[in-house]
Amino acid sequence: MVSNAINQQMTAVIERVRCSLVQLTNGHLGSGAGTIWHADGLILTNAHVVQRHAPQVLLADGRSFPSRLLAYDESLDLAALSIAAHNLPTMELGSSRRLRAGDWVIAIGHPWGVVGAASAGTVIDVGVPLELPRYPGDLIQVGLQLRPGHSGGPMVDGNGRLVGINTMIAGPQVGLAIPLHTAKKFLRVHLGRASENS
Amino acid sequence: MSNVLTELSDTLANTVANAGAGVVRVEGRRRIPATGIVWSTEGLIVTAHHVVSRDENIQIGLPDGRSTTATLVGRDPATDTAVLRADAADLTPFTESNKQELGVGNLVLALGRPGKTVQATLGIVSALGDSWRTRMGGQVDRYLQTDVVMYPGFSGGPLVDAYGRLAGMNTSALMGGVSLAIPTATLARVTDALVAHGRMKRGYLGVSTQRVKLPDELREQLGQKSGLLIVSAESGSPASAAGLTLGDTIVTLDNEKVRDHDDLLALLTGERVGTAVPVSIVRGGQVQQVQVTIGERE
Repeated sequence: MVSNAINQQMTAVIERVRCSLVQLTNGHLGSGAGTIWHADGLILTNAHVVQRHAPQVLLADGRSFPSRLLAYDESLDLAALSIAAHNLPTMELGSSRRLRAGDWVIAIGHPWGVVGAASAGTVIDVGVPLELPRYPGDLIQVGLQLRPGHSGGPMVDGNGRLVGINTMIAGPQVGLAIPLHTAKKFLRVHLGRASENS
Repeated sequence: MSNVLTELSDTLANTVANAGAGVVRVEGRRRIPATGIVWSTEGLIVTAHHVVSRDENIQIGLPDGRSTTATLVGRDPATDTAVLRADAADLTPFTESNKQELGVGNLVLALGRPGKTVQATLGIVSALGDSWRTRMGGQVDRYLQTDVVMYPGFSGGPLVDAYGRLAGMNTSALMGGVSLAIPTATLARVTDALVAHGRMKRGYLGVSTQRVKLPDELREQLGQKSGLLIVSAESGSPASAAGLTLGDTIVTLDNEKVRDHDDLLALLTGERVGTAVPVSIVRGGQVQQVQVTIGERE
């Protein structure tokens, strides 16, 4: 049955993506999510998650590392961290520019502290949301529920390829993610070629 | 790489892209624009009444990016439907509509175009039911509730099935907090009437009534528990002209039971305007029948 096949594919994608999802703890600031970008310890997250601090990074395999804040852009709401770890599981990159309204995506994070929780929905639009005309770039608008703790975690397509970073909500039922192309540009501007995903 | 999830994803995105040709932006209010459904090649647009707050200076954003003006053909607040005529002659209407195939649990998409691009939210059919009457007395051919997210500017836009066939028009105004769709059959009926007359005809009796319980013997005789007691009749109204008066209790109209206000509203249809129909009343404990020529509500 189709629904069975969908369930199996969803489970497979979520299990794979969880390996590249990290927890960030900032003491009293609580916790957020992060996405492993580079096998040599580069982590991508939201600026509002780290708030100019360098959080402790807890990997899916249970190891924990202090981090260094490498790049930070408050207006884009992106930050890059570095940890002293290697051979980390990275994610295949998708194409956020080719996302269309109706495309299926999955967001993974730690909503309300529930580690590695997934929610799925379809793309409403990729562009500047009418309610957020001041955000300096496109946002992936998705009909799924993002909650505190999702921020910084990966949004992936039906193949588990990274297309965005979960960032904020627009109403209780609509999540907004920073598209991969914005994240790539942010890393290129701040870190140059060293940021290239491997 | 392809799997069932990416196939579903592609199918949905293709459906949205194709159906988007029949989805326009409607700028007819101060807040953010809303959405309309292309109804005919020659520029008829169906949208929600509540998103068109002005009667003039209405702008339509076409799927190809052009912008054009539209005039108001008519509106039916009772079904939250408005019909516009865009200054365009080469539009792409929905060719196929979903008739009765939808079932609870089926995937549906709400489409919107408050900006330049077509937007979509996915949901399922939550509830289906028989015909129903809105608070303002509008007759809707079937109850169609979904759980699609009504993103800002989605009102007036199409609800389509997974094949992209038109199932209805989404509106969030008829019932607060519930995503309802006005089914295609109702849109067609209302649109035809608005194009023909500029408004929806509604019948008129000219009485104020109150629902009352019937005595036991009348209940058995008539097969209904209640009727509508006339508490006032306007002079010169169709009811007065037919001799209906204070104290009469209406129990049937055109051989249909009148048990409460909803029954009466439902029977005062546009088609009955100008026709003489039998009305049964209880007067002095006896059932009598009078002929009433239904007037038209202004």
